[in-house]
Amino acid sequence: MNQKRTDILPPKVRAWLMRYASAIFFIALVGLWEMVCRIGDIPNYILPSPASIFNAFFDVEFSRWLTHLWATLRVALLGFVLSIVISIPLAVAMVRSELMTRVIYPALVVVQATPVVAVAPLIIVLMGTGDPSRILITCMITFFPLVVSATTGMLETPAELVELSQSLRAPRYRETWQIRIPYAIPHIFSGLKVSITLAIIGAVVAEFVAAEEGLGYFIQFSTSFFKIPQAFAGLIFLAVISLLLFKSVTWIQTWLFPWSLPKK
Amino acid sequence: MLKKLTKPLALAAAMTVSSLTMAADEVTFQLDWLPGGDKAPVYVGVVEGFFEDADLDVKIASGRGSTDAVTKMATGQSDVGTADIGALMAARATDSVPVSAVLAYFSQAPHAFFTVKGSGVSSIKDVAGKKVATSPFTSSNLFLPLVLEENGLKESDVSLVKSDPGALGPMLMTGNVPVIIAWTTNVPLFENQAKEAGKELVVLPWSDAGLELYSSSLLAADKFLSERPEVAKRFITAFAKAVEFTYANPDKAGAAIHAMVPEVDAATAAAQIKSIKGLVYNSASEADGYGTLTPERMAMTWKWVAKANKLDPSKADPETMVNRDFMPEK
Repeated sequence: MNQKRTDILPPKVRAWLMRYASAIFFIALVGLWEMVCRIGDIPNYILPSPASIFNAFFDVEFSRWLTHLWATLRVALLGFVLSIVISIPLAVAMVRSELMTRVIYPALVVVQATPVVAVAPLIIVLMGTGDPSRILITCMITFFPLVVSATTGMLETPAELVELSQSLRAPRYRETWQIRIPYAIPHIFSGLKVSITLAIIGAVVAEFVAAEEGLGYFIQFSTSFFKIPQAFAGLIFLAVISLLLFKSVTWIQTWLFPWSLPKK
Repeated sequence: MLKKLTKPLALAAAMTVSSLTMAADEVTFQLDWLPGGDKAPVYVGVVEGFFEDADLDVKIASGRGSTDAVTKMATGQSDVGTADIGALMAARATDSVPVSAVLAYFSQAPHAFFTVKGSGVSSIKDVAGKKVATSPFTSSNLFLPLVLEENGLKESDVSLVKSDPGALGPMLMTGNVPVIIAWTTNVPLFENQAKEAGKELVVLPWSDAGLELYSSSLLAADKFLSERPEVAKRFITAFAKAVEFTYANPDKAGAAIHAMVPEVDAATAAAQIKSIKGLVYNSASEADGYGTLTPERMAMTWKWVAKANKLDPSKADPETMVNRDFMPEK
């Protein structure tokens, strides 16, 4: 029965549909949105139509978009890099020493459990309104998944490999570098994928609290002038860079560690 | 494209050149909110050269509310800025915040009820029994019970709903709520929405209902005033000139803020400036002279602020919160 139903479509059309399913769905959704706005005569300040959002892209000079994009991207990436620099050594320390785990882990959980949105204004007061405080806010939101995934990965190294290296009297740094970290790579990369999207959220949170440029600032600014289509345009940029960054992490993994990808 | 680029580039170049050749005194100016028409004077000061003439290099930082602006001045991140004097008074009454008021900017309160024609509200007394929407953190909320009291109403006579500032206009226009609380600085923005919705906006300013007080004022860090008094004096004099220019030339002022913050629409900013002229120039400023913070009106402001914040009025002396040594010379 089932077989028959799918056979209604020629295989070529079916393949084509499968290939572009998400794009078709997306276009249909945007079309529906535009139609609802037009037929329902919904004013722009409640739900802007896709057409008015598209126009809003051109209300802002291209150079300004670049300024805002770069400001957010810079903070997100620097915060992300900082959290890598902090969390991998932390994870190594925790894997190596029980004492370190006992000391660091509760502190990490406390930092993670504190809502960054609530702490952000305090960080700005302490560290000023420059990039460093925004980078720290981003780092606070991104480092935890990384520490957890790296630690889990390193702990999942097969015990016999660790024992073998110990019986061969390999120094501990080699145990870490050549056995544990490679084993942790798939875990680390899934942590990185979570972190990179959080990095954008962190940058935007920071910009909501204090900034003179950036997409988060731009969105806040646009709503303060009731320019809702423009705020949506800013949101779309944010979504696009989030997606691109997420994809880049996958590309980097495929490029540097192709062996760590799940086998198809 | 090129044409659009040349203006900001020329401006940037001009600013770089001027800072290179003069090594002017640096001053960080704190706004209490994001750039907009009501914040135009400091932008006018930069673009029209009032600060350059006074050998000042002014940097502008946006803020997220009056309390945030006072905190930034108190912690030394900014030297001087505009914020609600009420926030300073409340802060000074509970803590020794090293910030003082140096010049009046709005000598009337900007708080107001906004409604649309046909909602059955045409005076403040009419809000009785109505649903009123306001934003959660606005200082207006503190003054609301007092305004109601002045009009013979109780707080329980209105049902207050809190909502994001950006949602207030849409809520009013869709008839979700009959009345919202907002600042008169936003009149042109709400008017645009009303036009789009085919409605007519009605504004009921609280200053008409007896709320007589200083509002947005020029505040300065005490450290800035004591360590660089000469720079402070030059800045305040230049700022006063910029205020005068802004309200005399709203269109030029709108263009000035647009030149520095391209996202701000010059025409909207100009409309805002025109609509709030009464907050800056009014019976109080006429009687006392623009910018003057008189002991009487300071005392009156403190009385309102203390009452609104439920503070003991004897706990602080408003006179200790003012520094009149830097008033611009006439």
